[in-house]
Amino acid sequence: MRALRRPSFLRPARVPPWLYRISAGSCNGCDVEVVTLASVPSQEIDRLGCRFSSNSGQADIVLITGALTASVKDRVLTRYEEIPSPKVTVAIGACPISGGIFRGSEVATDPLDQCIPVDINVPGCPPRPQAILEGIARAVDVWRTRT
Amino acid sequence: MRVPSLPASLKSLLQGAGGAAHPSGDRRPTPPRLRGRVRFDPQSCSLCRVCARVCPSGAIQFGKRPDGLEFVLRHDACVFCGLCALHCESKGLHATSDWHLTHLQSEKDDFLERVAVQFQKCSQCGKQKMPSPVSLMTSLYPGLPHGEIERLRAMCPRCRKADAVPGCAVSP
Repeated sequence: MRALRRPSFLRPARVPPWLYRISAGSCNGCDVEVVTLASVPSQEIDRLGCRFSSNSGQADIVLITGALTASVKDRVLTRYEEIPSPKVTVAIGACPISGGIFRGSEVATDPLDQCIPVDINVPGCPPRPQAILEGIARAVDVWRTRT
Repeated sequence: MRVPSLPASLKSLLQGAGGAAHPSGDRRPTPPRLRGRVRFDPQSCSLCRVCARVCPSGAIQFGKRPDGLEFVLRHDACVFCGLCALHCESKGLHATSDWHLTHLQSEKDDFLERVAVQFQKCSQCGKQKMPSPVSLMTSLYPGLPHGEIERLRAMCPRCRKADAVPGCAVSP
């Protein structure tokens, strides 16, 4: 039997997490899928209670796309440091996880998870918007355990 | 603007609308031809290793074992291009429409497929040989009866040659 819960208006309000997007030298494929997620209402990102932010100081969940190329590495790390803790990092696409088709390239020498603590991986080239949504849903679960 | 029905409003008032729903409440079906997680069938592998050669991201690799080879496929490196399935003559690899590949970082090291494919022994000379899957042999010898296919499958290429032309000297 399902446990009896208090009605929603008697429960303390759940603060929705803010999503922040970093493109670490992405080909734009994964970014297009993330934008699809943000702009197509039927993808229902609002049902997770998430919103996109352009302010790194406000972010809770970081979505990182791209293979962390040498030219953007320092800027990505600076942006990442600006995000207050606790934060949850989601690596989107094959590139940040394993290098993808850029594996072994001389401009993408450091894997993302050796520079930044990654929490959730969403493989794909690019992953479908639904898969990214699944990754964000898991990230929200992780984030709730940390706050 | 869509106006929610009264029962739905009451339900969301009691249960809370936001945050609880998981996105897998996606009502649209997955396209059947979507290329998702790659499935490997060791029974249909002839160890030609063309898949590892054509894989653009190096997701497929073969390791050595004393009695055969080990097929290793890293799902998080796969880019779902479908080249391995396209080039696999014995139809041992195919892309499924399973896109639920999200995993935690702690699961990353185990997020791969590791299957051992064993060498076989030739029924004639007894030497080790690459396996000859049924799917490959039926495409190589179309129209042959099943028993004959099974007999040819068990032989190494040299013995098969000697069997095809009796008395012919097969170069070593």
